[in-house]
Amino acid sequence: MKWADIKEKLRWCAYLASEAYNMPYRSTVARARREQDDLFMLLIFSEMMGIPNPATYYTLELQPIMLERFHDWHTRMGMEHSPLDGFRCC
Amino acid sequence: MHRLFDRRIIFVGGKGGVGKTTIAGALALMAADGGRTTLLVSTDPAHSLGDVFDMPIGNEETPLGPNLSGLEIDPEAEAERHIATVKMSMKSLVAPKMYGAIDRQIELARHSPGTMEAALLERMADLMVDARSRFDLLIFDTAPSGHTIRLLSLPELMAAWIDGMMSYRDRSRRLGEVLKVFSRDQSKEDGFGMIGGSQDEPDDSRDGRIKEILMTRRRKFHRARELLTDASTTAFLLVLNAERLPILESKKTLDLLSKFNVPVAGMIVNRLLPPDAGGDFLRERRLQEDEYREEIDQTFAGLRRIYLHLLPHDVHGVETLREIGEAMAEQLGGAFGAAKAP
Ligand SMILES: Nc1ncnc2c1ncn2[C@@H]1O[C@H](COP(=O)(O)OP(=O)(O)OP(=O)(O)O)[C@@H](O)[C@H]1O
Ligand SMILES: [Mg+2]
Repeated sequence: MKWADIKEKLRWCAYLASEAYNMPYRSTVARARREQDDLFMLLIFSEMMGIPNPATYYTLELQPIMLERFHDWHTRMGMEHSPLDGFRCC
Repeated sequence: MHRLFDRRIIFVGGKGGVGKTTIAGALALMAADGGRTTLLVSTDPAHSLGDVFDMPIGNEETPLGPNLSGLEIDPEAEAERHIATVKMSMKSLVAPKMYGAIDRQIELARHSPGTMEAALLERMADLMVDARSRFDLLIFDTAPSGHTIRLLSLPELMAAWIDGMMSYRDRSRRLGEVLKVFSRDQSKEDGFGMIGGSQDEPDDSRDGRIKEILMTRRRKFHRARELLTDASTTAFLLVLNAERLPILESKKTLDLLSKFNVPVAGMIVNRLLPPDAGGDFLRERRLQEDEYREEIDQTFAGLRRIYLHLLPHDVHGVETLREIGEAMAEQLGGAFGAAKAP
């Protein structure tokens, strides 16, 4: 076995070890991030769901930007279909 | 104490019917006569500026005389404009078959309870910030107390709200950085940043747009708040009558104004019975009024006060407004700063 091959193998092992090590953290961080994003979406779309929101008027212009995230969000929030009457993104 | 007309922004407020529009009109005329370019703005959805000046005024700045323009804010028209812009940019993002749904969706916003108030505040904030380049003085003739206090408290509330939204974005972005370190070359992490991939716009550009919108909002609210609470820029004048309910409401209003740090420059006690009015009926009313005057003098001792008598006729047209302005100037002498500083 050549030295370079050994180095390559070692690197692979180190990679696998770090993956195994990072995995739980990564999913924790990913979940934490998703929570932040979901809260942000909630602040923008809450009024559509009947939750009064004093800032809706001022954040209305964020709705178009967030539109393509809307489906991911409402399904993740446990609503299989769009909560908006007549707004069928799915 | 600053002279009143050295301020850039004056709010005239008080209970319904006490004389806010009359006083605001008289002050505006006095300032304009003294050489200050003045914009008189009505924020009361039931506008009556036009009636007092005997000229139609609408949602556009309308000349009312030398150095004087008037404006009656129409929150519905403002909201309409805002909503139309958002609709347009939404439609540019989705297939035409979705247009109907988007229209219905955005229409909901128009009828949501806070919309008129938000639209009104937006226009007021724009005026407070922008009108400074065109006018020396901005006078707001406001709606009865409750509505106005709520409006004046909104910039603080909204600034905090937007701060909250930005902190969600910041935390999400930082967590995103951490995820990048974990997974150098994988790009299938969750979070809005990365899902979905190609048909979406790049994260950085989306993040940038969101951030810019929020920053612009926040800047506007903070600026409005700064101006509103700066005693060398803004003065709130509280109008009342020497009667029980206006006195009670004035106390509450003053408490709230001080809670939101809005500087109050003084009070105007309007519609006092003229001293020479005779008859048993009026004598009795005057006895009652004297008690209330005393109560006003004690309760609001810390504030500068102006007293105005009830005129024998309604206030209509600039002549009567000037008459009222003179009565106010007499009591305050130079404190109004009626002559423009050189
Ligand atoms: N000093 C005065 N002498 C005689 N009439 C007066 C005087 N001040 C106000 N008025 C009359 O009282 C009525 C109410 O005045 P004004 O419209 O200025 O009050 P307001 O506080 O703006 O009312 P609103 O809360 O409805 O906006 C008007 O008809 C006005 O002409
Ligand atoms: Mg009025």
